[in-house]
Amino acid sequence: MLTNQDIWQLAEGYVQGTLATHELNALKDKLSADENFANEFNECVNLVRSLNGAAAHTQYKNMLGSIRQSRKTVVTPTRTISLKAYYWRTAAIAAGMALLTSLTTYKVVQNNNDKMASQYSVLRRDLEKYKHSQNQIIKNLKEQQSKPAAEVRYTGTGFALSNDGFLVTNYHVIDGADSFYIQNREGRYFKADVVGFDKESDIAVLKVDDKKFRFGKTEVPYTFADDKRKLGTRIYTLGFPQDEVVYNEGYISAKNGYNGDPAQYQLEIPAYPGQSGAPIMDARGNILAMITGKQTESEGTTYAVSSASVMKLIQSLPKDAGLHMPKANRMSHMTLEQQIDKLEYYTCSIKVYKK
Amino acid sequence: MQGLLHTEQVLLADLAKGKREATEQIYNQHYPVITKWIQNNGGSEDDAADVYQEAMVILYEKSQDENFRLSCKIGTYLFAIGKHLWYKKLNRQQQMPASLPDDAENDGRLDWAYEDDVNAHRERELYYSQLNVALEQLGEPCSSLLKAFYQQDKSMQEIAEQFGYTNTDNAKTQKYKCLARLRKLFYKG
Repeated sequence: MLTNQDIWQLAEGYVQGTLATHELNALKDKLSADENFANEFNECVNLVRSLNGAAAHTQYKNMLGSIRQSRKTVVTPTRTISLKAYYWRTAAIAAGMALLTSLTTYKVVQNNNDKMASQYSVLRRDLEKYKHSQNQIIKNLKEQQSKPAAEVRYTGTGFALSNDGFLVTNYHVIDGADSFYIQNREGRYFKADVVGFDKESDIAVLKVDDKKFRFGKTEVPYTFADDKRKLGTRIYTLGFPQDEVVYNEGYISAKNGYNGDPAQYQLEIPAYPGQSGAPIMDARGNILAMITGKQTESEGTTYAVSSASVMKLIQSLPKDAGLHMPKANRMSHMTLEQQIDKLEYYTCSIKVYKK
Repeated sequence: MQGLLHTEQVLLADLAKGKREATEQIYNQHYPVITKWIQNNGGSEDDAADVYQEAMVILYEKSQDENFRLSCKIGTYLFAIGKHLWYKKLNRQQQMPASLPDDAENDGRLDWAYEDDVNAHRERELYYSQLNVALEQLGEPCSSLLKAFYQQDKSMQEIAEQFGYTNTDNAKTQKYKCLARLRKLFYKG
């Protein structure tokens, strides 16, 4: 005969799965032989499970509560500066002070910018030194008809915003260019024009002239992330540091970019000249950012302007520009290899011509 | 690149175990879209966060089932549940007619397809609250002892010390007595 305590001990062991095989077999025999015991045992097991379940449930809810709380504290506090009119004398002194401060700040900022130029290198590729490469000569022969006579000066990377020819790249890639062409996956050249740009965030939106031009068979398969992702998020990119498309991977290493610029990410991913304007993707087919530059002092530290800034520029474009952004993400279920294969169609090399 | 290929299944498996990292990732990933939608449909920021949290709890409950398999993406599921909960809440507050959402054409029947999950959630909440009431009615020391063991994850050793039993065996005997009393109260009450 089992005592009250034995039943509970059995029920506990059963729920935790700590019963030995012979104990379990004995229990099964007893359960099938003794209906009263079976009912009693079931109730005990149920109660132990419920108590465990309720505790886990509460714990989970508490955890969600704390996650919610931590989200709240993450929100960057906004500083409100209230302007109050005091006596005019005080105001005059204040104004004088302000002038002084703003002048000094201006000076400091200027100094910083000088420094910036030395530490920050943009990643367009200067083709002067590649001019005689075998590869280039072969390409030139092949593309003689569709390519202008002038030599390519710089190359960068761009990626599609819509299948019918809108694409985005860095402003510095096309800055001061006479003309620029994109080269698609098949190696064909298409002339493009600037639709809009933001010099400060270093973004330019282009449109391929040819109305019949399409990047791929379907609409653009990725979407743009609307918030900043966490540190450590795994990322990858496709770009054109050479004439062939190149894959690289890394992670987000800081939430803000160069000199703490909140419009940028700092990434740990190798980047080479020519990769300016390359898309930064996460594992689920979202565009997180676009490569803009790298730190000259260290290998692998790359800066990328966030997708939110790209979206901001796109939203400021006139409505009649006719740009329709992708709405559905068709890459989220794909394996990495499939994603890359797909992305290749929507990434292109940009060739810049300058006198 | 392994970290990148963290599929939704892996995330969900971790969430089912109650792991914070996975939960946080899922929570943060879908928070903006869903709470924004609720706020666009007449909810305050707190309403939105409440509803979203409840949707996360439902996802967790569902993940506890061994045969659990999501037929859609996590985000889609959370959004559908979130919409469902929010419309139900509006109906209860009589802020809108008791009809189905008129954007049904966009999302199809999906919105209301998870009726079972939401109902199971409500039943479970009720069941657990009844269990908690029974625990309270148990009286001392049983109430505190069982809470210490199940809710605070204390070992029998710690419990023996805390409740002044001479050894863990005595504490165990007391625990089983308390369980027997709880069973009587809960199933026969």
